[in-house]
Amino acid sequence: MELPPLPTTVVGSYPVPEWMERLKTDYCRGRMSYGQLQDVHDMAVKAALRDQELAGIDIVSDGELRRDNDIDYTLARMPGIEIPDPVKDFYYDYHEARLATLPAVTGPSPLGLAADYAFTSAQTSAPVKFSFTGPFSLSCRVHDRGRTSQRDLVMAMAGVLNAEARALAELGATLLQIDEPFLAGHTDQVGLAVDAVNAVTDSVEATWALHVCYGNRYARPSWEGHYDFLFPDVLKANVDQLVLEFARKGDDDLTIIDKFGWPGALGLGVIDVKSDEVETPELVANRIRRALRHVGAERLFVNPDCGLRNLTAATARAKLAAMARGARLVRDELPIKQGATV
Amino acid sequence: MLIDFRPHARLRSDKPVDLAASVAPVVSALAGSEWDLGRVRVVCDWVQYKENFRDAVDLRPILSTPEGLEVAVDVRRAGPPPRLSGDSADRVYLEDWGPGSASCVWAFNALYWNALEQWEKASGRGYEQALPGGESDARNRDAAREVIEGLFDVWETLELRAALPEELVVVELGVGNGGQAKVFLDEFRRADRARGTDYYRRLHYLMCDYSQHVLDLAGEAVAEHAGRVSSVALDATRPLTSLGFLKYKVFLVYVSNVYDNLPTDEVAQIGGRTYAVQTRAYLPAQGARADLVHRLLRLGPLLLTEVAPDRFPDLDTAVGFWREAWSALRLEERYVPLPALDEYPVTPRFSGEALRPLLESGADIRMHVSNGAVASFADSLQLLHPYGRLICHDIFVTGVEGYRGPFRGPGKYDGSVVNWVNGPLIAHVGRRCGFDVHFEPFRHRSAGNIVTMTAQVRE
Repeated sequence: MELPPLPTTVVGSYPVPEWMERLKTDYCRGRMSYGQLQDVHDMAVKAALRDQELAGIDIVSDGELRRDNDIDYTLARMPGIEIPDPVKDFYYDYHEARLATLPAVTGPSPLGLAADYAFTSAQTSAPVKFSFTGPFSLSCRVHDRGRTSQRDLVMAMAGVLNAEARALAELGATLLQIDEPFLAGHTDQVGLAVDAVNAVTDSVEATWALHVCYGNRYARPSWEGHYDFLFPDVLKANVDQLVLEFARKGDDDLTIIDKFGWPGALGLGVIDVKSDEVETPELVANRIRRALRHVGAERLFVNPDCGLRNLTAATARAKLAAMARGARLVRDELPIKQGATV
Repeated sequence: MLIDFRPHARLRSDKPVDLAASVAPVVSALAGSEWDLGRVRVVCDWVQYKENFRDAVDLRPILSTPEGLEVAVDVRRAGPPPRLSGDSADRVYLEDWGPGSASCVWAFNALYWNALEQWEKASGRGYEQALPGGESDARNRDAAREVIEGLFDVWETLELRAALPEELVVVELGVGNGGQAKVFLDEFRRADRARGTDYYRRLHYLMCDYSQHVLDLAGEAVAEHAGRVSSVALDATRPLTSLGFLKYKVFLVYVSNVYDNLPTDEVAQIGGRTYAVQTRAYLPAQGARADLVHRLLRLGPLLLTEVAPDRFPDLDTAVGFWREAWSALRLEERYVPLPALDEYPVTPRFSGEALRPLLESGADIRMHVSNGAVASFADSLQLLHPYGRLICHDIFVTGVEGYRGPFRGPGKYDGSVVNWVNGPLIAHVGRRCGFDVHFEPFRHRSAGNIVTMTAQVRE
């Protein structure tokens, strides 16, 4: 699908309304049935898609609204992973997980994410980005893995995610994103994470994005630092886009993209998702203009720093609208009128 | 009639409370009254604060339909049969009904810290002498060493990963006389020399307090560390307003005996319904001058001598008036239904929904909301570096069941207000912000009620 220059998109998650939070917690405590919760999720996904479309976002997502956090939805479905206590007090808490057997592919869509994509794509005519948490970060939440090495666990999970990615592509997913929210806290393991990313993307016909940020759990950074830790290893990653945060951290790291010669596209974070203050379109436009000094317009995607989960829906809508307007301001200044395709 | 006798432990103490002497006269008086006894609750507390805002027996209307009544008995002051009429002719009200946090008792509290020097001169003792044991636990050297060792361990780990910032920021909220800061800085320098880490050179210790007078005193106490210390006068309920430039940069926020002194409301669950506790301050004396009290609270004692020189010819007279008014000050209370939790703001950031986990059992309970403490805590968390910690020494109720036992305030500590802090609410809010919150009795002193609360980022 053809896109305008500087296409706008999201990283993945969308605000979870307080009422849905309560219902999810009720489900965790066994006060609500699974079917009822799925109905709630379906309605919420439809509403999130509508919000994004109204805000003028070019590539939308399901808001990850079926997922209680960035890890558990995928990890709990991973073959070979056991969740000893599946009942949580609060849905956004992490499960404790242990490895029972090395994850292996159990069927055409071993994690059931393809069905989520199918539902989403049927509800919108806009291009859809579908994101899932990468094997390295998933492995970080498996504290008890017996004698299995972390590398073996990560690569086994990558194999399962690859099968899921094939199922997603089969259903028409054209833009897939791997999220590695824990990587910035394990800067010495980028090589392993990249090997796993390549196993996930192997032979899957799609545009691939890799999102790395400094953490967004509970709207806080989990780590501090600079993106130079990704290089040079990430140059070996078979992905088309790096999706990074710049709005909160500033532009300093843009020079790293130049310095290491990243050849692919860049998903430029222009919205600070850890602040309730809504950016103006002019600020967004200036952030994009500054990025254009380092990356050509044909390689630039415009997105928030990370998922919008921790914002209120009203703030998220306002931020997305500002982002879309800011992108349009710069788009009108460009000589090219057509952008990337996904 | 429901009788809720809370000071159970006092029934078994060396000098046990005489249940008959304290409760029987109240029950007798109620029996002779026109109240529907099926809608009357008698709650009995043993109020440990000798100076407080209660009479021996207080009447608290419950504004449900039909109206109910709570009769609050301070069993420590068992006395003659109480009057059960709502007659208020002998009371001079200082304000209209409102939430506890909006009461003028907090203006008195603020005045105490702003004019502390004058109060201390009149009382003849420093405020710290009003604390149990006569000094703050914050000055405990073992406790300081433990915290510092923990910091050094984290910093060494970050240094190995080249992730340690050049400036190492520590914030203390509520510095008292600087004693804690001095102990911390002395021990920090000693540990730095012993380890050879060179962290003292990189340390920036921020002393923060509401009172400039307190900050000045504290500054003198840490004069030998002057190069490492800055001081900031700020409102402890909104530290981020003054310290926003330190967001996510602070490795330790240290708070000692502050939260118990910040404005708070109370809420109650009675018969399955949630109520806000509203208060109204009064002086139980005919002829009391409410206008002069308001002037005092607005101007302070020094300016009061200038605007009313006939009544207050010198500062001592004005301070004396302040102390008398404070001593006489009482609070009426009533219960007003809360229609929906989210319509009640705990803080500007958190609605009453934050209270739901504490109230959802449906059992009768009354608790502080600790609005000021929650606001301060949540704001402070935003200062913390991803590897930072907040450590707080204070009097906490650490479980909801703790509100079914001893009286938790408000009381008067010298010229200030004291309330136990709602630990379960703080823990819940911390959890929502991504922090594990842990409570344990202060380990470096065997007796006392002080609890150490630690908050750090959840794994």
